[in-house]
Amino acid sequence: MTNGFKYGGYKGQLLRVNLTKTEITTEPLREDWVRDFVGGAGYSARLLYEEIPAKTDPLGPQNKLFFMTGPVNGTMIPAASRSTACAKSPLTGSFFHSIFGGYWGPELKFAGYDGLIVEGKADKPVYLWIDDGKVEVRDASHLWGKDPFKAQAAIRQEIGDEAIRVAVIGEAGENLVSYAIILLDIRAAGRGGMGAVMGSKNLKAIAVRGTGSVNVPNMLRVYNTTQRLNELVATNPAVKGLSEYGTPRNVLSMNAGGILPTRNWQTEVFAGAEGISGETMKEQVVKGHRACFACSINCTKYSVVPSGRYKSIINGPDYETVYGFGSICGVDDIRAVCKVDEVCDEYGIDLIQASMSVAWAMECYEKGIFTKADTGGLDLSWGNADAMIELTEMIGKRKGLGALLAKGTREAAKIVGKGSERFVISNKGVDWPGHTCRPFPGTAVGYATGPRGGSHHDIRPTLEKSGAVDRKVLEGKGAMASEVNHWLILADSAVVCHLAEPIWGPAKVSENLIEALNAVTGWNLDYDQARKIAERQWNMIRCFAAREGFTRADDTLPIRFMEEPVPEGPMKGTLISKETLEGLKDQYFDYRGWDKKTGNPTKEKLTELGLEFAIKDVC
Amino acid sequence: MATIKVKGFSVIRDVFGATEVALEVGHPETVKAALNALLHTYGEPLKKVLVDPDTGEMTPFLLVLNGEAISSTLDTDRPVKTGDEMTLIFPIGGGSS
Repeated sequence: MTNGFKYGGYKGQLLRVNLTKTEITTEPLREDWVRDFVGGAGYSARLLYEEIPAKTDPLGPQNKLFFMTGPVNGTMIPAASRSTACAKSPLTGSFFHSIFGGYWGPELKFAGYDGLIVEGKADKPVYLWIDDGKVEVRDASHLWGKDPFKAQAAIRQEIGDEAIRVAVIGEAGENLVSYAIILLDIRAAGRGGMGAVMGSKNLKAIAVRGTGSVNVPNMLRVYNTTQRLNELVATNPAVKGLSEYGTPRNVLSMNAGGILPTRNWQTEVFAGAEGISGETMKEQVVKGHRACFACSINCTKYSVVPSGRYKSIINGPDYETVYGFGSICGVDDIRAVCKVDEVCDEYGIDLIQASMSVAWAMECYEKGIFTKADTGGLDLSWGNADAMIELTEMIGKRKGLGALLAKGTREAAKIVGKGSERFVISNKGVDWPGHTCRPFPGTAVGYATGPRGGSHHDIRPTLEKSGAVDRKVLEGKGAMASEVNHWLILADSAVVCHLAEPIWGPAKVSENLIEALNAVTGWNLDYDQARKIAERQWNMIRCFAAREGFTRADDTLPIRFMEEPVPEGPMKGTLISKETLEGLKDQYFDYRGWDKKTGNPTKEKLTELGLEFAIKDVC
Repeated sequence: MATIKVKGFSVIRDVFGATEVALEVGHPETVKAALNALLHTYGEPLKKVLVDPDTGEMTPFLLVLNGEAISSTLDTDRPVKTGDEMTLIFPIGGGSS
């Protein structure tokens, strides 16, 4: 295949840029790691385990930022535009893979690279310009301080090519806000503070132009697989409505089901749901649709608020924005949600983490822990959209109360105290997405044990939410969570999109996912082999965390979820008590063959998976 | 025969033509019969939304019956009676990251 690489779907080489030395090199992709870890998150976990020593400062020059694609990216396979940005996270202190869609990942492959490793730290702001095989480190002093969209436009103008793809950070990344994002054209590597890692390296942007292609061993097989998968994407009920309503299609349904998180998770029913629903969004603000590379779903909406104090133009809002800055802050106006979405993008901050920080501050205000003296005069009453927007801007600027919230709610609560820790809705420093687990024990143990904490991409609520698995039964939930972990991590290594969940999962590694991998690479994986790769990947990430000192005790849930039952609605009375959670963790560790006391993989398990090199670090 | 109210949102509402519709459920008056009556009444457009073409079966989803969360697959024998309200919670996973 390309560059003599043995398998299809790969370019066969990585680009490495050392910003301290301004040194640019290429190196071959390791064939053994490709077979054992595939690409994306899996390959990244293996490489960063090798290259980032334990206790490395996430914002120091020893941390590395690794952009990695998978073999499926850049081919015609649908719902497969995603790539990963990985590093030791400033938010969690462990390995983090932040997934992004759009076009940047495929473009990197077209330029000739499966991945890009950024190491060291430039002595002044710079950006990278990758023009097929020609790579330059360029001065970015004139771009520092610019918002992501202005910086993208300036780079395109400077290079004289409107079609280049640009990954960029905003002011938040430059200011090392622990949950700063990387914006890649219009999609984001949104979680885990990858933008802060990029900012810590004085790296403002990475512009890419690629004119190559991705080779596969049997084009007819890839074509037939694509046709079949396109049909599944077009007809599967669980993918319906994404094109028309975007991900907020589910707001009213979730509210009717009593699972729409509201007012910092005090309840899960929101009286103002209609105002932030996909239906209202479609009627009032959506002007068009956007799709990622080779994807027929079209889930991104292009929305405009033409005038007034919420005047804004955004690509969104996604469900997580509607949840975070809508129901979770008690705001029922979709136009205000659009405005704050624009603010987050302009500063380059994670919408989920920012909204949860604002909601936590609102609850502090409600409980008298904060007064106007603390908030800079802002009235942080639930539903005050203007105050919500202003406080979000303060986070981006690290100004006033925003400087505290920029640390993340877990760290902010440690400083504030006064019982505010009790309503931090976080695990491992990562605040919660808009998907409950109080009624769903398998989902709960998945969240608790997930390497990224509050991430609905380490576990999915779908099986228990839909009733495909009985939510009221505890038995078997450790196994359920493990197998969901497996399809998710293999998907994140291929790399394919979780929005096509019924195609790639949803209960275990699916035949569709295996066929997509086999078709583009020329492999002949069967289910057992594919599952073993996924198990190896999951154990690798766990080893990274264990080496950093994480233990079973870190696998937990927000206090609110363990002690405060849902107060109303169809899920009234549900919670996951501490005792229940510990039992679920026992199940999970047993199923995984991990040590129940420490939560670490055992010597036997690591040997079985070919991860003997990690035994000395974690056993 | 029972007459119940059925609610749905987004693409289900688009098929119903309204957020709430009345539905007649014949004997035996159960959740299963109600779901079958819905498919019969709204035909192919609703099948496209609720039935997995791979299996030919209805995709599992959450239902709310008179304020109680139940399952479209595990609670099909639940009785329904005139005046009951059943809400279809669209079969979806999670939002974008």
